[in-house]
Amino acid sequence: MFGFLKKVADYTRDAVGASQYLAQGLAVTFDHLRRRPVTVQYPYEKLIPSERYRGRIHYEFDKCIACEVCVRVCPINLPVVDWVMNKATKKKELRNYSIDFGVCIFCGNCVEYCPTNCLSMTEEYELAAFDRHSLNYDNIALGRLPTSVTSDPAVIALRELAYLPKGEMDPHGVPDTSPRAGQLPQALLDSWAESEAAAPASTTTAAPQEQG
Amino acid sequence: MVITTDCLLAAPIVTTLAAVPPGLDLEASFEAAFQGFGLSPGAAHLLWLPLPMLLVLVAAVVGVLVNVWLERKISAAVQQRIGPEYAGALGVLQPIADGLKLLFKEDVIPARADGLLFTLGPVLVLIPVILSWLVVPFGQHLLISNVGIGIFLWISLSSIQPIGLLMSGYASNNKYSLLGGLRAAAQSISYEIPLALAVLAVVMMSNSLSTVDIVNQQSGAGILSWNIWRQPVGFVIFWICALAECERLPFDLPEAEEELVAGYQTEYSGMKFALFYLGSYINLVLSALLVSVLYLGGWGFPLPVEWLAGWLHQPIDAPLVQLITASVGIVMTVLKAYLLVFLAILLRWTTPRVRIDQLLDLGWKFLLPIALVNLLVTAALKLAFPAVFGG
Repeated sequence: MFGFLKKVADYTRDAVGASQYLAQGLAVTFDHLRRRPVTVQYPYEKLIPSERYRGRIHYEFDKCIACEVCVRVCPINLPVVDWVMNKATKKKELRNYSIDFGVCIFCGNCVEYCPTNCLSMTEEYELAAFDRHSLNYDNIALGRLPTSVTSDPAVIALRELAYLPKGEMDPHGVPDTSPRAGQLPQALLDSWAESEAAAPASTTTAAPQEQG
Repeated sequence: MVITTDCLLAAPIVTTLAAVPPGLDLEASFEAAFQGFGLSPGAAHLLWLPLPMLLVLVAAVVGVLVNVWLERKISAAVQQRIGPEYAGALGVLQPIADGLKLLFKEDVIPARADGLLFTLGPVLVLIPVILSWLVVPFGQHLLISNVGIGIFLWISLSSIQPIGLLMSGYASNNKYSLLGGLRAAAQSISYEIPLALAVLAVVMMSNSLSTVDIVNQQSGAGILSWNIWRQPVGFVIFWICALAECERLPFDLPEAEEELVAGYQTEYSGMKFALFYLGSYINLVLSALLVSVLYLGGWGFPLPVEWLAGWLHQPIDAPLVQLITASVGIVMTVLKAYLLVFLAILLRWTTPRVRIDQLLDLGWKFLLPIALVNLLVTAALKLAFPAVFGG
């Protein structure tokens, strides 16, 4: 008899608990109704990629010495360096260079190790194509500079969260001139130099903390 | 077409019809006007007949368009998105754009599917849902047909739907479709029973199956006399079961896209898919309307309009007052229904999908016993307090 009653009591408690959780969940979703949208309206608005963004690789043909370091450090030996040895001058003559961005993983090793800095990473990420073979960029295509988001008149450029002023959550309507939270490396160095100039005797014990 | 109410249980009919003012009777005035032009009563009636049907069909479809737009906008707001915004102002034309797209899409019947059943399935899903609008009252005389078995007609029509779902799932010759169809049938059949029991408790209180009588029984004292205060458990049971019948999110197993692609709709495209889509949304609006009819006082204003008219010293039978009363009735019905639709959409983004065993557990081990207890308690209360619980 009491076992049965206990079962009923447990069952009721479970049901009440479940409805409480349901009400809690509904309160959360209902509260979200009054919040502002956080989305970026993509083709019309775009986020500005960060400084170290690893987008499509840019390549300068004239700087390249055809050393093939990029091929060696690439996880899958992707760059194709087409050169011939000029017997007369005993120098390599570069004829073509290509990277297939359908296969590239944008790890940036080639950029890191290139001895002449002829490779660099751009902020271009819109690489959609109808044919995957058209992603195989030759040295002409690799030499093109991407359209910057900030200079494209058809696009409203928005700053990412880390580049917004302190306390700002929504990039919409933030003026271009308002500084980002924290200090840029150069400002940090300058403030160091100032503090050392102000107190030359004391050692640099208190380095200014980055704000925010 | 207003038939005198008769109760299925042959119980004495104690309705408050006499106490309620007649309200706006468009049918009578329309027929009287055309008889004035020299038409016979039969011809005038024939002229009248297609009008409310067409009107309700249009209302149902417009209701779906509004529903789709609300669904997308509210979903977007809950997820802090914007939602459709380029098709018309605030994206109000988006549902029409979706519908037009489906209209122009190629109608594919898979090579190994059963062509006849494949075509019949969506039709069989849509027709009972639209037919059920027969009994939805927007006012004392603002419904197509005040059939005496009103709410029972809806329950029986809604049990045709799983046959269509199973048919389309089986005829698609696809394992996902078949699983979806089987789940839809199992779900609809299990949730039909507590649904019917919850309705039965309301019917017991109003001594009638007619939707008009059910609303009239709740119209005594405005918001205080609504059934939700006398049947809170029944309201919850009915709402859960209605969500399950509509395959709304906590119970959308038949079309669980993560497991079954799209369930019984997997092989459908073009207009046949649109029929399913239309059917599910019409069903949602219909369920919301019926919840408002059964539990939220139907077309009743939170304060009885008779009281308001009395305070303003207006005769309740004056044409203008009747017109205002009818408009308020329609607005109140739709408003209550769309509040429930809003709740359904909010629930969609709040609750995770239940497993099939949890679904059947909830249906058979929780809702069914609770609905039975609710029915028994209602019967006991009716015997104990006949004044409050409908003698």
